[in-house]
Amino acid sequence: MSYKIPMGPYHPGLEEPYKLEMICQGETVTDAKLSIGFNFRGIEHLAESRNYIQVIALMERVCGICSNIHTLTLCQAMEDLTGLTPPPRAQYIRVIVAELERLHSHTLWAGIAAKLMGFKTMFMTCFELREKVMDVLQAISGNRVNYSMNRIGGVNRDIDDPAGILKMVEAIEAEMARTVIPIFTTSSTARSRCAGIGVLTHEKASSCGVVGPTARASGLSQDLRHAAPYAAYAELEFNSPVEQGGDVRARLMVRALEILESCRILRQALSKLPPGELHSGDDKFNFITGTATSRVEAPRGEVMYSVSWKEGSRNPARIHVRTPTFANMPAIRWMVLGARLADTPLIQASIDPCYSCTDR
Amino acid sequence: MTSLESIPATLGIDEAWVERGGVHWLAPGKLTVRDLAKGMNEFHARFVTITAYELPKDQGLRLEYHWDLGGQLLGFPFQLEDKSIESIFDLCEAVDWIEREIHEGFAIDFVGREYEPLLLREGQTAGVNLREEVK
Repeated sequence: MSYKIPMGPYHPGLEEPYKLEMICQGETVTDAKLSIGFNFRGIEHLAESRNYIQVIALMERVCGICSNIHTLTLCQAMEDLTGLTPPPRAQYIRVIVAELERLHSHTLWAGIAAKLMGFKTMFMTCFELREKVMDVLQAISGNRVNYSMNRIGGVNRDIDDPAGILKMVEAIEAEMARTVIPIFTTSSTARSRCAGIGVLTHEKASSCGVVGPTARASGLSQDLRHAAPYAAYAELEFNSPVEQGGDVRARLMVRALEILESCRILRQALSKLPPGELHSGDDKFNFITGTATSRVEAPRGEVMYSVSWKEGSRNPARIHVRTPTFANMPAIRWMVLGARLADTPLIQASIDPCYSCTDR
Repeated sequence: MTSLESIPATLGIDEAWVERGGVHWLAPGKLTVRDLAKGMNEFHARFVTITAYELPKDQGLRLEYHWDLGGQLLGFPFQLEDKSIESIFDLCEAVDWIEREIHEGFAIDFVGREYEPLLLREGQTAGVNLREEVK
């Protein structure tokens, strides 16, 4: 006999509201249906009533974790429409904040994953490290969540003491390498809860069009920082870890290795930070009529903004946001098929979902 | 990997790519969206998204389909005559949610598929992103 188990929209295993309705035979999931929209705020529609300054602050609130990525993507599209190119120092600062945000996001995810594994001490360790990453972001921007770093043509704030920031990053890297990475990659608890569960095959990952660590954990080597470099990524050396397993462990491994790669990028960017201006142009912008599209590799994968403007207008005519979770979430249905019911909270969390982003 | 230059001829399009605003644009001409999707599958391009635009006054709606080919973003604009277009869901699984979202936001019918509510709830009226209220 089959029976239906709803998880959500409000459930202890979910960080934000959405609903995963599972059909089970005994303890095994045989089908699943996802429902989203519980955080729908109509942000795209709202953006049409905001001017070019206000819209940056609005889009920073699409996501509470990768807030910087949204303003970066938006500003890159608006720079295309205004013909502005950010100066080199601004491009490096954009990379530094983006990689700190990746560290923050991956550490937060690792903590949540540890909690869902029943590994509470690891949860505390990850969240302590996340606090340290937020300390670095606060030292740079004065803010711990919405950093307000990006503006059209560059950045709002400088990094006055790159050597001091580098020391903070190196301390975080040493702690990551000492605790989080070895425990997640070698501990029997992590292995027993993650290996072989929630598999997304290479073929299914490809047909679902998944992005970011979810794609790279299923053997798809795609990373916009390499394939279509933006900001200063073309001048920095780093790898994009790829795993073939497609299971929760592979997604864990990809993120763990990405933490180290982010530290590597940060060390280079902070050491090579070029002198110069923080932004080009003044505070008056001349938009041309047209549409510009920008893509950025966010912690969860590719973010894409299509921004449409009419010359002479202060407001965008249209902004469309395609977030990484929007691309990744439908794949959860395939990941939970055949899984044990008890594993499904961890499986759905393994894509590092962000429902606020998805619903907008 | 398929080269960008060879795609128009393979699809039977006379136009050339135009690079603008971070996208390689190709006007599809008489090519249907389903033929385009079949072509993209053959080229192993990754579907990215569809963006819907409500054009000024009575100019109707436009859909822009995007695929990624080795880091290059491809764009194909389709002007809609009657608020409907063929669905490509059966050819490209990744379009499921965005077709549903556009249906709810702009009341566009993707012919050949069924919808379940995505961002709206059961019984709510499609067209929440349109400037004029849908009755």
